Parts: sequence; structure tokens; C-alpha cells
Amino acid sequence: MSEHTPMERSMVEFGPLLERLLAGEFICAVSDEGAFRRLQDDETRERIDAYLRPLNRRLASNDEGSVYFLAWRVLDEAAREQLSRQLGETVASLLPLLEWLQLVQEALGRDGPAAPGEVLKPADFSSRCEDNQGLRERLERLASDPFFGSQSDQLDAQLKQVFKRLREHGYLLQPHADRQYYLVTAKIDYLIDLARFIRDEENLPVDDQAPSGQESLL
Amino acid sequence: MSVDHPHALESRLVSTGVERLALLGKHAEALMAGYARDEVPLEGLSTTALNRLLAARILWRPDEQGGVKLAPKVRELIAEMLADESRRHVNADVAETLELLRSLVQSYREARDGGEYWRQEQQLLRLRQEVDDLNGRFADAIDSLWRRLNGDFGFVSRLGDKIRENQRAQKQIVRLLDGLALIDFDELIELVGSDGALRKLLVSGLQQQLTQHYTSLREVQRRLVELMARFRQQQSRSRLVAGMAGFLREHPGFVPGNYARRGEVPALVNRAAPLVAAGAAALDHHPDSRVLGELLHRLPRPAPRPQPVTAAGAAAPQEDTLVAARQQALKEDVERFYLAVVDGGEGLSALEFLQQGEYEWSEEIWLFQVIAEFQGLPRSEQRAFRLSQQESQASRYNHVRLIHDVTLQLA
Repeated sequence: MSEHTPMERSMVEFGPLLERLLAGEFICAVSDEGAFRRLQDDETRERIDAYLRPLNRRLASNDEGSVYFLAWRVLDEAAREQLSRQLGETVASLLPLLEWLQLVQEALGRDGPAAPGEVLKPADFSSRCEDNQGLRERLERLASDPFFGSQSDQLDAQLKQVFKRLREHGYLLQPHADRQYYLVTAKIDYLIDLARFIRDEENLPVDDQAPSGQESLL
Repeated sequence: MSVDHPHALESRLVSTGVERLALLGKHAEALMAGYARDEVPLEGLSTTALNRLLAARILWRPDEQGGVKLAPKVRELIAEMLADESRRHVNADVAETLELLRSLVQSYREARDGGEYWRQEQQLLRLRQEVDDLNGRFADAIDSLWRRLNGDFGFVSRLGDKIRENQRAQKQIVRLLDGLALIDFDELIELVGSDGALRKLLVSGLQQQLTQHYTSLREVQRRLVELMARFRQQQSRSRLVAGMAGFLREHPGFVPGNYARRGEVPALVNRAAPLVAAGAAALDHHPDSRVLGELLHRLPRPAPRPQPVTAAGAAAPQEDTLVAARQQALKEDVERFYLAVVDGGEGLSALEFLQQGEYEWSEEIWLFQVIAEFQGLPRSEQRAFRLSQQESQASRYNHVRLIHDVTLQLA
């Protein structure tokens, strides 16, 4: 392989990862543990950044560094146009996604919203929804939201559609195509960060801290 | 019984102890009912049995009118046996044990100096038991802490309760660590002097065990703090998700600022457009052509479709005929438009004609056909008409022009 420069050769191993990043995927410990570990290395990130420079892209991550994605390096008019459109789409999907998180938490009796690495099975939801008419109705409303876009009135078909859309959007990972269980990816962290960001920027009256004084009373 | 007969005293304690321990087994069901509920049910207990249980301090009666309850130590014993983390107690009281150890060492020395061999042995035994108890208390506490930690405080269901339980566990660790700090090995070294048995028990042995406890406590403390951070994060996320969902439900028209238009675009919003790294078979690289050739040969052949002899002839042309018929109808309608211009002698808007004539064609198809008809005319006939297009530029960035309408008039 004498025709390759050292720079090119060293980047060959990142080929599949670069392809996923360029395609707009979010890389986290759940979606690709090996790649995620390598992305935590400063030198690797610098090399990838250098490689992406001609494509006007660079690596970016959320504050806690639980998920990596590509950002524009230089924001020209076209990039801003695309970001505005994308932001509009994300904001439109915010309510259905937050409602889904709430539904998961309540249906499965969990302590918090679904977190990266958690396992979700459509079967668990259908059994809970069968027992609980309230959950059933909420799921039905949610599934018919344009974001999820289910046309069906069958519970299983609705769940299937909801999980399918979440998988398509990278919030869930299906390790085996023929098995109905899903892993929550760290893209959910990104979504929650974004919700928090919007709250802070717009000064929305939404409090995420426990009421103060609660602990001192005890 | 006098102190002169220590052996007799011991055997009496043992026999009473055996009798009373047997009470625990004999009334196990009533006692467990008392553990699970507030009071011990008296239905199954005879008066004699009840009196024996009270005398053994297995049960007690907090007030004359009230019911009978388990003694605190028995409740603790059961919680310990069941590893029932919601009721297990952590005993961090080291100061009193140290007091006791000091006085036992004093008696031990006095017995040794007085040559009272049996009493010396007894004191050493008690010292050993006290040291074991001290160790056991730390070991139990650490066991209880690990169980609670590893079970994510699963014995309470609400996150708020878990946070409070975690705080309680952390306070217990602080008390246990404070207790460990009370043990001053310099003092113990001085206390035991040159006595080998005491030195082994109270200095080397104890020091080794306490070091282990200290390490375990620090580790469990670190993990509890981590878990607490996770609980807090969950709690905060849960509130944020519920709060934001509630807000967005109440304000369906809510639109946040366009962060992409800011001078400094927030990092979270800057997500580059997806780019597909496309590739196609290329034949300009000679060594590849053989591979490509092989791939080509391996392509699955399109399965020859069985031809239904009778149906095939009719089905396909039928569809073609339908399309052709629509095309012919469109062409005739457009010709009507041209004739209208010729008859009226005035310029006509193609779209106005379409709307007034209540034709079913979409505007785009209609305009396309009007233009196509013009271009399809023989040059000599084309000269008889003038077709003008109302158009605009699609965007500042390219030269695409959009046609909104065409007007046809006689030249």
C-alpha cells in the first residue's frame, strides 16, 4: 500500500466510524462501544477533526460527553438555513418524545425517564397497557401523533410503529433484527439537554430541582 | 448463688438461656406476626407462655392498656437474620465498647497479678467476645450498607425515599468512621503492656480487622455518593421531562428563538447535515474489472415470470389505453384553448381559461401541455401565435425560473 500517505493509512481504521458520523448518526457507548471509547481519546478526536476539515465538519459532543456527533466547522448561510430547519423539526418532535419518556417511566414504574443502556421491550408495554385503560389511551394518542404517525387502532401495531420511529431517529437500538427488545441510546441525553437548554434560554417556568427545604424537614 | 461458685453461676445461665432461646422457636409464628405488624397477636398464646415471653424480655408491654410488642433487641435480631434492610440497625457506638475493653483489661491484669487463673481466663474470654462483637457490628453494618447499595435501595419504591435512604446510609457511614477514629492504637498498646495474648487480640488482630472495615466503609461511601448523584440526576430529569411536556401541552403554539441565527450558535444546535458517502462501480481501475465481472455474474437473474396466457394480453394494454385516453383528452382541451384565442382574437391567460372552463387538469400539467402544444406546432403556424410566460427566479442562488402562467395571443 505504498500509494497511501501515513495520514490516509492511519485514517483507514476510522472509515466505518466516519461514515456513520457523516451520515448524521450519534455515537455513544450503547450504539458503538468501541468507537465511543476511541472518541474519548483527545488525539483521535484531533485526527478525525483534521480529516473532516475539508468537509466543513468537526466532532461535537454534549456537555457530559456521553454522545458524539458532527457539527459544522464554519457556519455559512446554507448551514444556518439547514440548522434552522433542523431545529424546527426537533422542536416539533420534542413534545411527543417527552411524552413518550413520561409514558415509559410511568408504565414501567421506573425512577426516572429511560436512561442510556436501559432495555425496553414492546411486550412489557402491551401487558401494562392491557391492564390499564389510562395508559392505553395515552399510548394511542401518542402513536397517532404525526411524529410517530401510526394509522392503526391495534395496540401492537401502534407500539411497533412507535418503536420503529424511535429506532429510525437513533433513540433506540435494536441489537437483533428478529428480537423485540431495544436499548436506549445516549441520544436521549442529547434530547434532554436540548429540552433543558430551551427552558433556560426561554426562561420557561419549569423547575427540575426538588423543592428546597424538603430535606431539612426530615 | 454466690461468687464463690462461679461454675455454678455459669451453668445456671446456660440452662436458663437454652430455655429462653427455645421460646423463640416455640412461638416463632406469633413473634413473626408481631414483627410484621404492630403488635403480637395474643390469640394463640396461653397466659403462661405470654408470661414466659415477657420474663425473657422477648416481648414487652409499653403500657398497661396497650398490646404486647416485640422487644427492640428481638426485632433487631430478626431484621439481622432476614437482612431486612428497611429495619436493620447500624450500631456505631464504639465509645462504650472502648470503656468496657479498658475495664476488662484492668480486671484481667488484676486476676493475672493475683494468680486467679480461672478469673483471668474468664476476663480474656469476655475481652475476646467484646472484640468480636465490635468487629461483628462493623461487618454487619458494612454488609447492610452493601446490600442496600447493590439493591439500589430497592426496598423503597419512590425515588424520593431512595434519596432519603441514601442520605441516611451516608450518615451511618460517617458515624461508623467517627467510631473507628475513636480507637487509638497508641493507647491500646500502652494498655496491653507486654502481655502477648492481649497484644495479639487488641493490637495486631484488631488493627488488621479495623483497617479492612475502614477500606470497605470508604469504598461503600464513594459508591453511595455516586449512586446519589445518579438518583439526583434521575430526579432532575424526571422533573424536567414532566415540566417541559406540561408546558408544551399548555402552549401548543410555543416556538423557541431561532438559535441557528445567532452570532454564536449554541453547541447543541449545531448538527451538520447528513452526508452519504456514495460509491459506484468504476471500470477505470483495471484490477477491479475482474471483481466487478464476477459480481455481475453472481447477480441473481430476474426470475422469468410465468405468463398467464389469457390474462396477459388484455391487462397491460388496458392500462396503456387509459393513459393514452387521458393524454388525448388533455390535448383536446388545450386545443379548445387555442381555438378560443383564435375565435376571440384577444390574448388569454391559460390558467384563467382552465379555471373558467372547469376542467379537471392540475395547473402544472395544463401549463405544460399548453407550452408543449405551442412547441409542437409547425413553424409556420407557430408564427401566428405569441406565447408569453409569466415567470420568476426560483432563488437568488441559481437560475431556475418558475413559470406561473402563460398568455397566448394572435401575433
